[in-house]
Formats: sequence, C-alpha cells, structure tokens
Amino acid sequence: MGFLAPWFLAGMAALGVPVFVHLLRKHVTTPRPVSSLMFFERGVQSSTRHKQLKYLLLFALRAALVFLIVLAFADPFVRRPAAGGAGRLLVIALDNSFSMRAATHFADAKQQALATLAARPHDSPAQIIALGGQVQLLTQAIGDDAQLRAALLSIQPGDGHANFGELGRALRSIADTTHRPIDLHLFSDMQRTAMPSNFADMVLPPTVRLTAHPVAQGASLANWTVESVEAPAELSDPKDPRRSRVHAVIAGFNTPAATKTIALVINGKAIASRKVNVPPNGRAAVEFAPLDVSYGFNQCAVRIEEADALPDDNASVFAVRRSDPQRVLFVHATDDTRSATYFGAALSAADRASFILQSMDAAQTTDLDPSKFAFVVLSDVLALPSIFEHALAQYVAKGGRVFIALGTHAGRRAQIPLWGAAVLDTRESIRASGPLSVGQVDFAFPALAQAQPGRDNGGWAVVRVFYASTVEAGQARVAARLADGTPLLLDKQLGEGHLLLFTSGLDNLTNDLPLHPVFVAFIDRLAHYLSGSERLSGAALVDSFVQLRAAGEPVGAVSNVEVIDPDGRRALSLSEARTIQTYRFARAGFYKLRYPNGQDAVIGVNPDRRESNLEPLPPDLLKLWSGSGSSAPQTTAAPAPGEITNRNLSLWWYVMLLALLVVLAETAVASRHMGTQREEV
Amino acid sequence: MLQRFLDPAVLAGISSLDLLAKTVVDGFVAGLHRSPDFGFSQEFAEYRAYTPGDDLRHVDWNLFARTERCYLKRYRGETNSQLTVLLDASKSMQYTSGPPSKMDYARFIAAALFYLAIQNQRDAAGLIVFDDEIRDYIRPSTRPGQLARLFAGLEHAEPHARTNFARPLQHFRNSLHRRGIAILISDFYEDPETVIHEIAPLRFHGNEVILFHILDPEEIRPVMHGPALLVDLETEQRIEVVPDYARTTYRSRIDAHIEQLRTRARAAGMDYQLLLTNRPLDFALREYLALRQAEN
Repeated sequence: MGFLAPWFLAGMAALGVPVFVHLLRKHVTTPRPVSSLMFFERGVQSSTRHKQLKYLLLFALRAALVFLIVLAFADPFVRRPAAGGAGRLLVIALDNSFSMRAATHFADAKQQALATLAARPHDSPAQIIALGGQVQLLTQAIGDDAQLRAALLSIQPGDGHANFGELGRALRSIADTTHRPIDLHLFSDMQRTAMPSNFADMVLPPTVRLTAHPVAQGASLANWTVESVEAPAELSDPKDPRRSRVHAVIAGFNTPAATKTIALVINGKAIASRKVNVPPNGRAAVEFAPLDVSYGFNQCAVRIEEADALPDDNASVFAVRRSDPQRVLFVHATDDTRSATYFGAALSAADRASFILQSMDAAQTTDLDPSKFAFVVLSDVLALPSIFEHALAQYVAKGGRVFIALGTHAGRRAQIPLWGAAVLDTRESIRASGPLSVGQVDFAFPALAQAQPGRDNGGWAVVRVFYASTVEAGQARVAARLADGTPLLLDKQLGEGHLLLFTSGLDNLTNDLPLHPVFVAFIDRLAHYLSGSERLSGAALVDSFVQLRAAGEPVGAVSNVEVIDPDGRRALSLSEARTIQTYRFARAGFYKLRYPNGQDAVIGVNPDRRESNLEPLPPDLLKLWSGSGSSAPQTTAAPAPGEITNRNLSLWWYVMLLALLVVLAETAVASRHMGTQREEV
Repeated sequence: MLQRFLDPAVLAGISSLDLLAKTVVDGFVAGLHRSPDFGFSQEFAEYRAYTPGDDLRHVDWNLFARTERCYLKRYRGETNSQLTVLLDASKSMQYTSGPPSKMDYARFIAAALFYLAIQNQRDAAGLIVFDDEIRDYIRPSTRPGQLARLFAGLEHAEPHARTNFARPLQHFRNSLHRRGIAILISDFYEDPETVIHEIAPLRFHGNEVILFHILDPEEIRPVMHGPALLVDLETEQRIEVVPDYARTTYRSRIDAHIEQLRTRARAAGMDYQLLLTNRPLDFALREYLALRQAEN
C-alpha cells in the first residue's frame, strides 16, 4: 500500500483538534446560585475520569472523520498484480500518409497494428491515432476491443504529409490529460522528411515509451516523381509561345540514372510525350509547348509513364482555364492621358495576364456595366456619374475588384469615390523637401508578392514619389508605405469584393514608378489579383486551404458555396455550404469549386512532394527519438502478452464512503449530546 | 398594586372557611382569636384563691359570705388581636427555580394575612422587615390606611444581607406592648436550635408564634445533571458539587433540617408550617387557618 499524495498526510495534525476539544479543553461550568451552601459539601469528580468518559464515542467518531478525510486526500492505493502492462495506456499510431502507399507498407503496418492490439491484455485501455496530414484521434482511451479494432480497420491510406512533430504534440496533450504512463506504438515507414525542422517538436513526454515499428526495412526504395510543374492557370491564346507552355521537373530519390517517358495529359488524353534522362538521385526538366487546350477548364497532368515503388506520385495534376482575353475598364480624368498609356503598356507586357484595356473618360461611363469587366481602374477621377458609382458599388459587393489611383486631383475631392473616406492631406510639400521613397512593402500581399525580394526592396527602393495623399487607413490593410509612414497602397474588403487604393498616381507626374521595371511586375500581379484568376484554376497541395468566402460576411446573405471532390461527390453538407469560409483539400485530384458570386473554379491538388522521398530516418536518430521519452528506449515488437506488472488500485472512493458513514454517525451522536446540554441549561 | 397581593382567587379560598364565615355573620370584630389573657367579660372561667396584692374588686364577696373563704372570680375575656408579621428579607429569599421567588411568595402570604386581619377581623396588623437588622417597621394599628401602609412596606422589602434573627426579635420584644400573634416568614437557613432559641422568648411573653418556612421545590429536591459550581446568594461563597451528593446526602440533610425545625418549634409551643413556592397560596393559608381552628 502506498500514497499517491503522501504530503497530504501532514494533515494528520488536524487530529489534534478533537483531542483538544474533548480531552485537553478545560471543563467550563456555569455557576448556579443557591440560597445557601449550608447543606452542600464540596465534591470534585475525578477529572481524568470525566475527560475520558464524557463524549468518548463522539470523540472517537470525530477523530476517525479527520483521519479518513486526511487519508482520502493522501490518495492511498494498493498494488494489485495485473497482466500485460495494464495501468499503462496503449496508444497505437498508424501512419496513413501518402508515402505509405509505396509497395505494401500500409497493409503491413495495419497488420502489425492489429496484432499489437490483439496482444494487449483484455480490457486494458488503448487509443488509436491516424498519422496523416493531420493527427486524428480516432478513439478515446477505451478498453472495448471491437471499437478499437474497428477504428484501426477504418484507417485508409491518405494523401497527406506526415509530421512527427504533430505526433509529438498530440502525445504531449494526451500525457497531460491522462495521468498514466503511455506505451506508444508507431507503425510507419519512418520517412526522414516527416521530421520537423526542429527536433524538439517531436520529443515525447517522459511518461511516454515509444516503440517504433518501421515497415520499410532495409534500403529505401527507388522512386521518381514529377516534382513541380509550371503551367499557366489561365490561357487566352494557345499559340502564344511565351505563355502556352508547360515546364515540369522530374526528380529521382535513391534512383539510378534512367530514361523516363513523360507524358502531358489533357482531359484524360495524352497529347504529347517526351523522353528525358534523369541522372542518379537527380532532376531533369521537360517542357511541353504549345499547350493546346480547349475553352473552359482543362484537367491536365504531367505523368511518368514507367511505374516505380510509389506509382501514385508519378503524375502531377493542374488545371488550365482557357478564355478570351478579359477586358479591363480604365476610367480616367479628362485631362489625364498618361495614366492609361503607362498602365496599358505594363499590362500588355506582363507574363501571365491576358487582358484588353478599355480606357474611358469618367464622364462617359454613365451607361457602362462594370460586371462585364475583369476589374475596374479609377485613375485620378475627380467625380463619377452617380449611376456608374452605384453600379460600381454593387459590382464590388458581389465580388468585383476596383483599383483606385489618386493623382493630382486628390486635393480637390470632397470624398474618394467608393472608398468612403476623404483625403486628409495632400503631400505637395514632398516636392519641397525632396521626393520620398517607398519604405515598407508587404510582399505577402498578392499584388506585391515576391518570393525573394532583393536588397533594393524588391525594386521598390528606387521609386521616388513626388505627390501622395494621406488617407485614414481605418480597417484597410496597408500593403505599402512611404518612407515617412504615409500609406501608399491600401486594400479594403467591401462585401465580397475588394477595393485597392493607391495614394499616388499612375502617371509620371506624381511618381516615377511607371519608369521602373517593378511597375510591370506590379501591374501583372495586380491584374492577376484583381481579376481573381489566381483562385479559379491551377494547382495546390494536399492539406492546403482555399478561401471560399470572405470572413465576417453575414451568414445566409449570399448563396451557397459548392465543393465537388475528386470522386465527384459533394464534399460539404448543406449547413456547411452556407457557413464554411475555408476548405481543406484532403485528397489528391481535381476539385471543382463554386464561389458565392457564382464563379466556378477547378483546382488540381497534388500530394506534398516531400512524401516521394522514401528514405527512412537514420537508425541513430530513431534511437534518439525513442529514448527521448523514457530511459528505456525500445524499438522492438509489442510487449510479451501475459507480462506480469503491478497496477495501482486507488482506495480514495472507499475512504470517502467510509468518511460519509462516520459523518452520519457523528451527527446522530452529537445531536444526542447537544440535546442533553440544552436540558441542563 | 393591591391586585398583586389580593388575588381574588386566594381570598375566595380563604373566605370559604367556617371560622371566617362565622366572624362575618356575627359582625363582631372580636371572636376569631380567643384572648390568651383573662379579662373581665361575660363568660365565667374559674375561681382562684386570693393572694395578697390581688385587686379586691375582683373578690367574690358572695362566696366569701357563704364560705368565709376569699376567692377571686375570673372571666374568659375576648379581645381584638394584634398581628405582627416578621418578614425575612435576606438574599437567600431571592432564590427561585421558577416564578414566584421565595420573596414574592412570602409577600403574597403576608399580604393575604394582613387583609384577613384588618378587613375581616378588625385586628391590628404590623410588619417588621429584617435581614441582619431591621429594615422596615410598621407599628400594628387598625387606623384607616394601615393596610395600604403594610402593602407599601411589603412592596419596598427587597432582599439585602444575611439572616440574623437576634436583633429583629429583640426589637420586636422591645416594641411589644400587647400580646398578639407573631408570624415569622423565612427560609430558616440557620441551625434550628439557634432559630428556636432566638424566637422562644416571644412565646414566653404570651404571644402566639407561627413559623412559615418558605422553600423552593428545588431546594428540597435539587436536579443536577453534572458537576456544578454553586454560589451562595448571601455569602457569595463558591463550591463545586457533584450530582451524586445532591441526590443523596443533601436531600437527607435538608429533610433532617426541616424535621428538626418542625419538632423543636412544636416543642417550644410554636406553630410551624412548611410552604413550597409551587403550592397554591390559598392552600397554605387554608391549612394554617384550619390548624388554628382545630387548636381553638
């Protein structure tokens, strides 16, 4: 017998309370007046006898009550022999990441997991975890064999990327909630790429004993994969040699030199193939041009024709949408002719865009319908016809996007059209104090996105701004600021759409941006962002998210979204379709989406290519990990059935029950004594 | 205030007695109490031989003429009596185990006696309140307002010090001019020998002496559930007493004390009556008056 919280035994000092009350406290007697003591004689009862006898039963009960309560807090337990590691929680983690599709890895791992589950002592608690793109706790810690087995059998190979860091985090959470030692049995191919960047993330708590069951024994398997594909998401002219091409990289992991046949598949038909020599453990590029696709969405793939250890990663899918060039409405002031020139030149020079610019004076826009344009640019417009301004507001609310550039007329406006705020100040003094440069650029903003901006601030450092307006940012996102902190580019969501505000102009009077190369890239990405084409087609990775509707949008205010998974089934329930904001691509294949504004999209989803490298963890690293949780590292099979261990059986409940009985007895006895005392008075 | 002492129920109980009824019907103030003295009235009592110094007016000359012996003729005299109540107002009279206290009970008895004496029998009534000395003295009288004065004297009688019979009885003897009835109301926490020794001289002067012994029921049968610290009301002395003693020895001693007081009082020619404060007041008076009637 022992105590789980022995320090509570210090509470036994409380036993002194009933001892003091019953045995040590001086007996207090209230004097009683009498007429005369003539016939009385002094007589003192034996104090010892008095103290011992009076309320002896009550004293015993009270002392027992204190003793039992203290004992209950100390949480006594007795050791009972139990078979097969009972008292420890068995956690079975089965890896169902994409790499487990290689050879018979997954089937082997599941078979071993089932054997381990069957070998555990009957009714001892166990928990099943699926380790895929996300760590899924399929059961609680239960002893029901059938339920545990069913949970294990329900695990199917997935397309996600396993991460041992996520597993370590989940185990730390389980160890925090369950107060018993854990036996973790991990059935996995122990892929090296599943390691987190920081080893500390995968360190297990001290109470967790890891038993690794690597299913990929021996040397790692040779595997080729289509590592990356560069293809236009939107294409207006298949004969455009600059844009109508597909560039793919074929990579081999633990592979010898080989010649591979690479095919371009469009809508299920292989329309072209190339032979490529892939060096040992190396990469080779292959290009298909032109990309002859039909109008609408085209489901394309680059495929390695020869099979290998992991055939599922031999194809990389992507979607290409062919459409006519989209029109862009450029509204400018009457006296502004330069802006449209610079903007149109940059737009036509852009890589990915296929837009036709339609320039128009603000006064001529009365009868225009903005919904016919991919996006609208308002360049230094002093005032808009009210009909057109209203139409523009409706257009933005339904998902349209408008780019507003303020020019030299900014100071004369009462309010910026559509934006809803006034210009606080015009920085004409910039001319006096010298031009300002662009100080901060948010390269995470889609219209300014750059993978690795250089020292020149992505090319923005050389830009000089002579004239800018100061606008209250409010709820808008500031994507770029001038050196003095003045917001240069702001993005504000309005309904389903977006408004972008450029506080300087698009001509070379207010800044010299149109004269720098960064202007073309900026306009290219800006057009891409404003037209929304970046989310209508292309490719994505498994476990990545797509935003289906804007955050904060009132539920039910717009129509439903729709997601069709690669099997052609609706992935969302009706209630989810009305409320969901983002969706996680759980599987590889083509997803068809319909946004609230009615736009359709097709996204090709591919597994994370890190899963294609089947190289397992080095043994020393695996040993280090196994030893991180306990002092007895173990990489063997399941514990021998019938192993005799001790189990601690807590007596807390029984002690409290006994204390309750003592409380009842003490109440009865005390009330009897108190009744006697009242009679005395 | 009067109603406090003159409870109609008490008086109704007393009025039913034959002796009182007869006194009321005759309309004569005298008659209830026979005079202990020989007087000169209508009822012949005896002859007594002449001794030198006797008043010659009382000599029966007819008898002398027939027998040549000189005898005095004596008649039984009937006179108005004089009632004096000696009320013990020591602190021990404060004791009570429940209303009324011994002091209140003594007041009730005295008030009832005064009313009986003055209103019904036209007796003179007086009051001496004492503890270890005389606290109040109201001379016996039949004057109008005497009853109110007596009641006021009772009202102002508050327990003070210890009991000492010697000084008040000495004062009583000095102020006594006529023989009468002396009623001593006390709890008699004193040695019976001493009490009788102090009171006996009253009897020698021809007075009727009655002792009313007032006790609380708990003084005879004290109830104790555990050891108790007892405080003497008069001396403030404290002693711890165990229940066993109170149940056994104490009871025998208080019983012996009462019996000894009763015996010695009777032996000295005095009446003695034990009155417990839980007994009806009229019952005590009726018992006493019946006792007087039997003696007559």
